[in-house]
Amino acid sequence: MIGGQRVLSMRGFRKAIAPANWALTFTRTLIYVILVTIAIVEAFPLLWMIITSVKDSHEVFNTVLPAEINWRNFPRVWFAMNFPVHLENSLYVTSLTVALVVALATPAAYAFARYRFPGREVAFYAFIGAMMIPPQAILIPMFQFLRSLHLLNSLTGLALSYVGGGVAFAIFLMRTFFLSLPGELGDSARIDGCNDFQVFWHIYLPLARPGMATVVIIQSLYTWNEFMFSNTLITSPGKKTVQSAVFQAVGQYGTDYTALCSGLIIALVPVVLVYLVLQRQFISGLTAGALKG
Amino acid sequence: MVASHMATAVRPKSLSLRLRPLIAPALFIAPAALALILTMAAPMADAVLLSLERWDGMTPPTWVGFSNYLNLIHDATFFRALWHTAYFTVCTVILQTVLPLLIASLLNSGIRGSTAFRTLYFMPVIISLTISGLLWAMLFEPNFGAVNSLLRAIGLGDFAPLWLAGVDTVMPSVIIVSVWQSLGFYLVIFFAALQGVPKELYEAAELDGAKAWSRFLHVSVPTIWPVILIVIVLNTINGIKVFDQIWVMTAGGPDYASATLGTYLYTIAFGAMGASNSRLGYATAIAIVILLLSIVVSIIQIRLGRRADLDSQIEM
Repeated sequence: MIGGQRVLSMRGFRKAIAPANWALTFTRTLIYVILVTIAIVEAFPLLWMIITSVKDSHEVFNTVLPAEINWRNFPRVWFAMNFPVHLENSLYVTSLTVALVVALATPAAYAFARYRFPGREVAFYAFIGAMMIPPQAILIPMFQFLRSLHLLNSLTGLALSYVGGGVAFAIFLMRTFFLSLPGELGDSARIDGCNDFQVFWHIYLPLARPGMATVVIIQSLYTWNEFMFSNTLITSPGKKTVQSAVFQAVGQYGTDYTALCSGLIIALVPVVLVYLVLQRQFISGLTAGALKG
Repeated sequence: MVASHMATAVRPKSLSLRLRPLIAPALFIAPAALALILTMAAPMADAVLLSLERWDGMTPPTWVGFSNYLNLIHDATFFRALWHTAYFTVCTVILQTVLPLLIASLLNSGIRGSTAFRTLYFMPVIISLTISGLLWAMLFEPNFGAVNSLLRAIGLGDFAPLWLAGVDTVMPSVIIVSVWQSLGFYLVIFFAALQGVPKELYEAAELDGAKAWSRFLHVSVPTIWPVILIVIVLNTINGIKVFDQIWVMTAGGPDYASATLGTYLYTIAFGAMGASNSRLGYATAIAIVILLLSIVVSIIQIRLGRRADLDSQIEM
């Protein structure tokens, strides 16, 4: 009995001798067992993907672990799937979309938070209503619209197709952020002779950086991961983004799981690197986005 | 837009004085408004028109009134897709609300290492639906996929299902993938909300002799109910428009067994290989159905949710 308790909780060992605490220790253990089981379930597919990517192709279905770690799949897939081009395409679309969304949404959100004007509520809800529109609804019109502008099969056109939804969401987030900043700052700057634009640019914009960072994180992740528009509006293989390129590769590689897994990992690395560096901002930014959205 | 509205309302004399405070906000908002009109409002209006037309994408469209919508009523595949969408939405709303909430409560029970667990659970959230879909398609492969290999290894080989390849198992499989991927996301939301519940409420309940389960039901749930409601609405909207992961894993197959409204309209508009666009008006009508469904259902949920909120406060 005592041996069991030691495994349960080192800290609670002394306390656990009292019978009342035995139940507590048991509950704690049960909680840990549940949490660890879920952790295994959540991690298993990712671990399997990593292990498979370093296997030799004849080991895939026969062994749990590879005899030796085999990195060859990565250079093979890197060139065969033309990753440098697709990564560059995704980077271009993501940067352009994020830059446009931040540049357009920040001043608008500022105006909705800091000015009173007739029609403000109506205009604001028109923006928010845009967030309800499912992407499927505008996919076909967007296809025709970009075709008429000769921007179909163009990465710039793809970025433009993301702007509307992105701006609506960013205004919503940033407005809340601007509302949390004190209004007195602007008032005193105006007394000192700043005009409306200067108040925005010199006083509030520097303070809004954390809000903008949230928008950048959410919009980058969304754009980088987006599939339906990028798979539909881009048709030539050399212009595909990472997501649709990986999807196209499935038909080509079939059951060559070592190649597919290496490909998925290459496609994942940029996002995972950013996530590991900005972990806290990532989690708080994404959840803040959801709660306010 | 705002300026012209005002111009009719006031006399010319005070016009410039009245308009002056409007100039700055109008300038701040105009670029965003223009972008939204061009890339959201115009395509949306176009979609409504398109749903009333017959169009192959090449020759000029012809006006057909509501016949696209009327044809939907006679389309058995549409109703299958509608049923699958409802099935997916109801299951994910329940599972992706209840499981994250329960696990968040466990993490919030004062155990050590909750940050490590949250970081780990959150990993699948940042992965794109495309990549997780492709990954699970490999794991679920019936003959040599990892999941069935595991089942055989522990002696459940007879049970090993066809997963994505089976007509009866494809929807549950797709739902499993969705739950796996989004667990961390909703869990972190609930965890943040639970951290905000005042400790005194739990202490008071404990003094009244409330067990852990009843503290969860009578303290945690009512206190964070607004957040629960948001998660339910988010899950509903995401469920009704579900597309990416299903398209990547099954393209709506086998034989439309996992077709949802999202994948069915995509099949009609762009074909399985993204080439043919034959019945664009009909496909757009389905898109409008998705839009209307998500608006109506989320409004109902918010209405009912607010009332439930009041009720639970009265009970307290």
